[in-house]
Amino acid sequence: MKILQKKLELCTQCRVCEMECSRTWFKEEKSEKSRIRIHQDNLLTCTQCGECIKICQVQAIYRDKFGVIKVDRKKCIGCFMCVGFCPERAMFMHNDYAEPFKCVACGKCVQKCPTNAIYILEEAAG
Amino acid sequence: MISDEVRTQSNIISEYRYTTGKIDKGYNNRTLYVNVGTGEIREKPVTQMMKDKLIGGKGFGLWYLWNAVTPETRWDDPENEIVISTGPLGGITQYPGAGKSLVVTISPLTGMPMDSNVGGHFGPLLKFAGFDSIELQGKSEEDVIIFIDGNEGIVKIEKSPLKVSDSHLIGEQMAHVFSENEEDKKNVSVVSTGSAAEHAFMGLLNFTFYDARRKKIRMKQAGRGGTGTVFRNKRIKALVVRFRGVNRGLNNPVNQDILNETGVKMHREIHENDAKQNRMREVGTAGLIEIMNAYDLLPTHNFKYGSHRDASKISSEIFKKMVTQNMPDGCWYGCSLSCAKAVDNFELKTGPYKGEKVLVDGPEYENAAGLGANLGIFDPQYVIEGNFYCDTYGIDTISFATTTAFIMECFENGIINREVTGGLDLKFGNREAALELLHQMGRGEGFGKIAGLGVRRLKQIFIEKYGADPGFLNDIGMEQKGLEYSQYLPKESLAQQGGYGLTNKGPQHDEAWLIFMDMVNNQLPTFEDKAEALHYFPMFRTWFGLNGLCKLPWNDIVPADNKKEADPTKVPGHVRNYVSIFYAVTGIQVDNDEIIRQSERVYNLQRIFNVRMGCGRRVNDRVPYRSQGPVTVEEYESRAERYDGQLLELAGFDPEGKTTAEKMAVLRKYREDQYEKLIDAVYERRGWTNNGIPTIKKLKELGMDLPELLAVVEKLQ
Amino acid sequence: MIQVNGRNFTWEDGLTVQRLIELKRYIYPHKIVRINDRIIQEEEYGSTLISSGDDVKVIHLMAGG
Repeated sequence: MKILQKKLELCTQCRVCEMECSRTWFKEEKSEKSRIRIHQDNLLTCTQCGECIKICQVQAIYRDKFGVIKVDRKKCIGCFMCVGFCPERAMFMHNDYAEPFKCVACGKCVQKCPTNAIYILEEAAG
Repeated sequence: MISDEVRTQSNIISEYRYTTGKIDKGYNNRTLYVNVGTGEIREKPVTQMMKDKLIGGKGFGLWYLWNAVTPETRWDDPENEIVISTGPLGGITQYPGAGKSLVVTISPLTGMPMDSNVGGHFGPLLKFAGFDSIELQGKSEEDVIIFIDGNEGIVKIEKSPLKVSDSHLIGEQMAHVFSENEEDKKNVSVVSTGSAAEHAFMGLLNFTFYDARRKKIRMKQAGRGGTGTVFRNKRIKALVVRFRGVNRGLNNPVNQDILNETGVKMHREIHENDAKQNRMREVGTAGLIEIMNAYDLLPTHNFKYGSHRDASKISSEIFKKMVTQNMPDGCWYGCSLSCAKAVDNFELKTGPYKGEKVLVDGPEYENAAGLGANLGIFDPQYVIEGNFYCDTYGIDTISFATTTAFIMECFENGIINREVTGGLDLKFGNREAALELLHQMGRGEGFGKIAGLGVRRLKQIFIEKYGADPGFLNDIGMEQKGLEYSQYLPKESLAQQGGYGLTNKGPQHDEAWLIFMDMVNNQLPTFEDKAEALHYFPMFRTWFGLNGLCKLPWNDIVPADNKKEADPTKVPGHVRNYVSIFYAVTGIQVDNDEIIRQSERVYNLQRIFNVRMGCGRRVNDRVPYRSQGPVTVEEYESRAERYDGQLLELAGFDPEGKTTAEKMAVLRKYREDQYEKLIDAVYERRGWTNNGIPTIKKLKELGMDLPELLAVVEKLQ
Repeated sequence: MIQVNGRNFTWEDGLTVQRLIELKRYIYPHKIVRINDRIIQEEEYGSTLISSGDDVKVIHLMAGG
């Protein structure tokens, strides 16, 4: 199971992670399109807890073989209930897109973080 | 299970092809007309007048029905229609509670237009298939099904291949026949009723939706007023729509961003507050049982009393353990309030499906209060069983419960006996007898068949055949305009007596629920205050039914800062949301006042429709005394301190040394007089004459001075 | 004597908001309490004393059903 982890005390809120994420997935550099988000003094990241799976009426949210929670855009009907119900506030939406988006623990941001405030944890599935 | 060959071989009676289209700002701008008597199928335009003045939903339904019937039309005449409509906001997937359909027909119980608001997927799928409403008219000579293929643009009337008559089976079989595989079932919704609707006047319509998590067909009910009875009388076994490709944008709103943002705000609010407020996600509306009991508002023993020592046996804590938790129980996409609870794998103990394990939708508050407390049966397993059979037989649990409670009181008073009931010992608390009565309704046999006619007809029968005292029966028979009361005890709240009595379709609390504001909070001390509430709330709530919306997300969840609002009972934060999403879909900017005016237009149309059908006057708005005060000595004496105090403080009558009979008479005079004064104040506020007729001045103000309406009211001004 | 929702109610020494809610059996969870127009937060129900003569409002936020 892959999870993006954070060490908040090391985060300088430089937003490099947001830019990298947004560029990777949406070819733009915009905080509002990042799947990791600096919010007040916190860093919102997905813990892959799976609450959103239970919320989804159309079963568009699933856990892949690496334990990562993903949104199946073909099934999603854009209700955004998962956005409202994410306990970490780490399911995001943007009006340019019909579906919500979230961290899939790809690790791109980890490579760019200058202070090592984020890292990928790999756990045995359980 | 019927085989697919059965359907492909089945005889098509009539077929119509149409061009599928695109919804424009929430409207298809057309309606589907189907006549099952002549086989005629055609499209009708939705006019600009209809959109301007009637909005959609119930407004469209009433308008089509108005144009279809005459004052002489009875419920079982071929010209009577069943109109099913969503509304401009129906089918949006972002905001909770946006999948409602409004069913309108001339009711067998009331003889007037009935409107019933129901969830499930039919309305939205019909809309995506290309129609804002469907009008069903005529009477078939054989059982038929109607199928709408929303992708190919085909509507068919076919001979019914169904061998089953109950809704849970019809829903399953139709979903199977009209889908290619399990996954495809989500694209199908079925409207049907059950076997009891062939005889009972309180037949309901079940609207299905596919529960992807459970892989089961589920049903929501258009319960009130006998819509299912009309459906079955037309010999429609099932009305099926299929549409593949639901997505967030099909309404083509003018501003999707507003919908997204307003929706997410609501989802977050529900996530953060529902567990602290009304726990709709945990228990649905069943959470009200113990609350109503604590405030002496839970009807027990035919509305005699408002609480019972055994009520905790049917409390939400009990039902919480029975309904499966953590399920996305919305009856349309995007409903995060998710009140549509279900009991899984419930083993039936009685009836034709005895021993089978079934899914039961519910129990909702009305089921538990009606089937349980009002019949004096405090057994949760029985409530679930009764709930299941009411639904699948196509029986309105509210009318069934209130009718059975009336029968039980008559039975205990010796007005009827076992000879009349065919041996059923219909005493309060007898769960076996209550269930058997229900099964008899399903089979169309015995006393159950008679009971299915509802309280108004039973009163006549008991008076004419068994010499019952008409005064007593009219006092305890909890119906008005022919419709049975829903399950709240309004005795101690004058405003709620009006909330039930001054309604268009009959005593259903969906127009106004003012008991806490009035009785507990004392926020409506004067007649003018009560009249204002009996204007504002019925109008505001009518608006949900014009738009394809559910009332629950308005005030069964409120923003955390609602208490800071000047008028928190109106939930201004949510009213602002509705203003926003109405604009977001239609592009029309309204405000709170315009919302009320939109509703007033349709509300007055419905009132005039009642007048046209021979009702809708002051005399029709009077209520049975059981809803106003203690009819019997034991009722008075059970709350003697309360009533004695009121006599002294309010009626200026010293109860000291007086007999209960004397005190009851004075209290009755006082309370009935208060109700008349309330009627005066409410009519004045609504712009109606002293006889309850909308004034021409009011109609002109609203822009509803249409010639058809004026023709009805002019001679009655 | 105090006023509760505009009606007389017998005051007792040491009457807290919590105790008043129990006495009136106001079990509905979703309500607003005001004493002389000051909003009392739920966390303060147990510690807030009601004085004789106070005007107490316990507004049940349900226009539902």
